[in-house]
Amino acid sequence: MSNVPQTPIKRLLIANRGEIAVRIQRSCRDLGIETIAVYSEPDRHALHVRFANEAYALGGKTPAESYLRADRILEIAKEAKADAIHPGFGFLAENGDFAEAVEAAGIRFVGPSPHAMAVMGDKLSARTAMIAAGVPVVPGNTEAVADAVEAAKEAELIGYPVMLKASAGGGGKGIRVVHNPSEIEAAFLTASGEALNAFGDGRMYLEKFLVEPRHIEIQVLGDKHGTVLHFGERECSLQRRHQKLIEEAPSPIIDEETRMQMGNAAVAAAKAVDYFSAGTVEFLWSKGEFFFLEMNTRIQVEHGITEEVYGVDLIAQMIRVAAGEKIDDCTGLVPRGHAIEVRLNAEDPDNQFLPSLGVIGNLRWPGGPGVRIDSGVYRSMEVTPYYDSMLAKLIAYGRDREQARRRMLRVLQELHVGGVKTSAGIALQILQSDGFITGDYDTAYLEKFVAERGKHEVQREIPDDLERIAAIVAALHRQKTAARRVMQSDNTGGAKTNPWVTAARREQHGRISR
Amino acid sequence: MRYFLRVDSGREFELDVEERPGGQCIVKVDGEEIRADFLDVDRLGQYTAIVDHRSFAVSIEEQDPQHLQVNIAGESYTVVAMDEREKAAGEVAGQGPPKAEIIKASMPGVLIDVSVKVGDVLEAGAGVAILEAMKMQNEVVCLHGGVVEEVLVKTGESVDANQPLVRLAPPQED
Repeated sequence: MSNVPQTPIKRLLIANRGEIAVRIQRSCRDLGIETIAVYSEPDRHALHVRFANEAYALGGKTPAESYLRADRILEIAKEAKADAIHPGFGFLAENGDFAEAVEAAGIRFVGPSPHAMAVMGDKLSARTAMIAAGVPVVPGNTEAVADAVEAAKEAELIGYPVMLKASAGGGGKGIRVVHNPSEIEAAFLTASGEALNAFGDGRMYLEKFLVEPRHIEIQVLGDKHGTVLHFGERECSLQRRHQKLIEEAPSPIIDEETRMQMGNAAVAAAKAVDYFSAGTVEFLWSKGEFFFLEMNTRIQVEHGITEEVYGVDLIAQMIRVAAGEKIDDCTGLVPRGHAIEVRLNAEDPDNQFLPSLGVIGNLRWPGGPGVRIDSGVYRSMEVTPYYDSMLAKLIAYGRDREQARRRMLRVLQELHVGGVKTSAGIALQILQSDGFITGDYDTAYLEKFVAERGKHEVQREIPDDLERIAAIVAALHRQKTAARRVMQSDNTGGAKTNPWVTAARREQHGRISR
Repeated sequence: MRYFLRVDSGREFELDVEERPGGQCIVKVDGEEIRADFLDVDRLGQYTAIVDHRSFAVSIEEQDPQHLQVNIAGESYTVVAMDEREKAAGEVAGQGPPKAEIIKASMPGVLIDVSVKVGDVLEAGAGVAILEAMKMQNEVVCLHGGVVEEVLVKTGESVDANQPLVRLAPPQED
């Protein structure tokens, strides 16, 4: 693979929106690369359009009408003479056909090969490849089971509880946890039907169900010359229905030796599919053992915390790799300090985390030492139902975990987002909970915390009785607005009677005549 | 002026606010007199409050003058604030006859299913439609219930936030 053509990238089209589009643009500016934005109708005002060197309308409102239109995006890339396309995450990021069409048009795709996407995109083929590469996988099948009877037989061999999973699955569809033999037939039929509906592929396989595991993932980066490096782990167990809320790097429970083992397993996983570009190998960790879960063949939302502890710009590295450059061999990299990320989502934690739509009428960003905000949000932005509810990523960095945690508390106390409900409040409570402080949490923790809210011990930073202050402030607000309303109604029909207005007019008039 | 406040935890406060020349206020609460200074910072919802020399960066979202979302240091409180007159009037209004209800979309989206028709009798909290927004399906429910008088939308229709969906007549008295 040593004769990889090196083609410098000068103009990069970003086939995405929101905070990740802005994030990619920032690396491009650092590298001296011109950026080309695409945008849907509701995104005409968006930050990623305003920060771009060039912008092209996609038309349409929904993702299907806009950011998922591979043909239209490729047409724009040709018209704009882009020499590379970065897909970000979501939308077209893991669409092998798109990657192939881009490369066929002589444009670099900033991501892995369609082959790597295809192998890792199918859960069964990924499991088979991992077993061949010696990467530990969750005990279970490597081939689809024929029917419910065979599923029941396999379940006995693996031992209950088991997970029934759709081979083509994703997004929690076609997955069932089965605790005993009486449930397996019904579970097989509904899950297989669901998978057939959602993915046009009803093949199912079984895996051992790990009770209360932790979700720990390894960041990898490969080039087109056969080098693959890992950048340690991210702890992503604080999630709800597969939606992560808080991530940290490094994990509070991974020691140097385990990090090395997991890192080596992740590198072996990537090498098994000749991986290049940035990718993430996800593992389930349970009682000191770890098992391959899946590989995400793209940059991930939470890449920023890895960047902070390893001092690397992963987006810039992806672009360099796409251009055919070699990545520096920095084997033996170690994390420095600690980083925590909170996803700022427009959602209502008091109402089943339902999306909260509206106009961001007010905004106060935090700042100061150790704070990084990756955001696509601005004041007066409308949060629409068309796209993902993630507004921004709040990242706090510290020399150790406790400093990072305290900085994140500061970030969440300084932050204010008015007009929509956000995940900031629940994140603040979790960061002050015993489970988070001690690092003793698993993938069930967030759900439990939300269900038992108020029962958990929360060690609040601020000593004041904030509820009482809120009541006092509400009364003061009413008092002042009542006074203002009285003043306004006094002035009805005669601003001229207001001496201040009259004075201001006089002054202005005077200026004009002079 | 005297105010009656209820925070979402259920905790209630009764307090008097007296304005002094220059805008400073004296707040009397639980027999205590507290000096407070409260100013609008940006006319967009951010305020500065100094309560007994403790300083708070506050933001407030006002649904209407009585219903306020007060945010302090990352914590959020829903406060119902009434003055004396409103409290008296509110208690009377609460005893009045039930009102007709118009059920509105809580957010823009697409109606996946409109499950009621004219003449249906709905209990308080009953579902009338499924609204899909941000790839999630949410049930739209009525607050007080009643008899469906008019269905203003149909399945498959896109709606804006606050768009009326269903009109109910007050529930019949037995």
